[in-house]
Amino acid sequence: MRRQGAVLAVLFFFMVYLVVPGQIMAAAVEEKILIYDEAKLLTPEEFDELNTMANEYGAKRETDIIIITSKNGENVDVQDMTEAFYDEHAPGYDKSHGNAVILTMDMRNRDVYLAGFYKAEQYLDNGRIDKIRGKITSDLSSGDYKQAFEKYIKTSYKYMGFKPGVNPDNILFNIWFQLGGALAIGGIVVGMMVYRSGGRVTVNRQTYEDASNSGILDRQDQYIRTTVTKHKIEKSSGSSSSGGGGGVTGGGHSHSGSRGKF
Amino acid sequence: MNVIEYKCPNCGSGMVFDSETGTLSCHSCGRKDNIEQIPDPLGQQAFSADEVQEYHCTSCGSVIIVEAETTATVCSFCESAVVLGDRLSGSLAPGLVIPFSISKEKAMKAFRKWCKNGLLTPSGFMTADRIKGITGMYIPFWLYELHNKVEAYGHATKVRAYTKGDYRYTETQHFDIYRKLQLNYLRVPIDSSEKMNDKLMDKLEPFPYDLLKSFRTPYLAGYVAEKYSYTDTEMLPRAKDKIREYIESAISSAVSGYSTVNFTNKEIDTRVKNVDYCLLPVWVVHYDYNRLEYTFAMNGQTGKVVGKPPISKAKVAAWFAGISSLSFLSLKIISWMMGGGFL
Repeated sequence: MRRQGAVLAVLFFFMVYLVVPGQIMAAAVEEKILIYDEAKLLTPEEFDELNTMANEYGAKRETDIIIITSKNGENVDVQDMTEAFYDEHAPGYDKSHGNAVILTMDMRNRDVYLAGFYKAEQYLDNGRIDKIRGKITSDLSSGDYKQAFEKYIKTSYKYMGFKPGVNPDNILFNIWFQLGGALAIGGIVVGMMVYRSGGRVTVNRQTYEDASNSGILDRQDQYIRTTVTKHKIEKSSGSSSSGGGGGVTGGGHSHSGSRGKF
Repeated sequence: MNVIEYKCPNCGSGMVFDSETGTLSCHSCGRKDNIEQIPDPLGQQAFSADEVQEYHCTSCGSVIIVEAETTATVCSFCESAVVLGDRLSGSLAPGLVIPFSISKEKAMKAFRKWCKNGLLTPSGFMTADRIKGITGMYIPFWLYELHNKVEAYGHATKVRAYTKGDYRYTETQHFDIYRKLQLNYLRVPIDSSEKMNDKLMDKLEPFPYDLLKSFRTPYLAGYVAEKYSYTDTEMLPRAKDKIREYIESAISSAVSGYSTVNFTNKEIDTRVKNVDYCLLPVWVVHYDYNRLEYTFAMNGQTGKVVGKPPISKAKVAAWFAGISSLSFLSLKIISWMMGGGFL
């Protein structure tokens, strides 16, 4: 009994450990500048906070999570701007021109572009990066930049935790779904145990049936009519806004991408 | 001949029914008599319920204190097994009996084992010997043979869905259905004792009917037995109620191959073909725990134990936590295998 209790306790703590997100380690290592806030959308405090966050989350995925905001004085296309930035600044967590995901904001044309390079190209393919853009667009539109950037950093981090090719929004991957499901299973099983602790009825209709003298004497199945209903199939309205997809930079670095307005 | 006792022809001490061998046996000298060959001393005089009667133990002469339903008991003074003959005669004569096959010692052991195996019972339960009493009781049951003519009318549909062009079509075929069934149920047991909890008794089933024997009083020697409190006509509604669910499931299983089935009318004509008055063996255990008294019953033939045991909240919580953690872990592993992150 005591041993059983100990095992249960260990299991319980393991569950708690899994649920409570690993305490994000205070990064003592030097911070890279990952936010290039040319358009001055952030206060210095917000900038520091987001930059720290981008460093922390990026390190776990071995990817630089970069944000560029620009007033775009020369009126360059937002995708070209992103590619030029990658070629010039050569960012990357592992090496220069390495793993990076870049969010570029063109404040002049109100264009936004997201690009994933190398590991991020693989893990944040056009589909996933489209989803990230979809999640932050409304915040960007309402001018809630800090929140949008936070979401961008966290979602990029989260999505890169899933193998390429699977749907990262699958409900099975949701920790709350897992937790809820586990608790429901526990509740149902224990409920059944309590319910059945007093013994249960083990006779059914076969127990007392005189099988040799019971059965179907007569059956009639009369067809009456057929009714048909039809519904128009809703076409899933394709890519909501431009989309765009990835490309190759002037320097020959291939990337995934998603563009849109905000 | 109101009080029947079985005296050993060899040594003169009281004989009781022995569940191990199925014989009337004498504990003093070990004599064993085949019950089928003993002449049954039951007279034909009927017992009238209003009659206030005093029974005297034929061994010690003291008054036997019994309840109105008791038909067999043990003298509280000299512990001789006594059978009250007039309560088992005439219209009160049982037709059938299943004798005990589990002895008192075995019953106690089985009961203790059952309690220990209880996954949710407190660990303190059963460590101390708190069995207040264990009684081997023959409970009166009515065994009904019910013949049912069933006619069911209803409406059923078959649904087929397909896509053609930009449209999704749902094609529903409607049918009128009719089923006529003959459903005969044999020996449906309904306990006719006022004292016993019906739900508890239902859970004790099934009783092995192949061991049914025609009733003879020596089977009761050494046990407590009761006579029925309710007549077979009084208990018939409960019998019908019990087979109702069997009939319902028989009707639904008679219709297959449809997407939906809806019965509009069911006509059930139940006829009682035969009723047997039968005594079935049950060990009744009273148990004290935390100042509360629990009653358990054990099928005297199969050893099946029923009754609500105390539930330990700590154990419930432990099981809940354990099962939840394990399912959580398995869900995590599933999601991990599907390509999601582990954390």
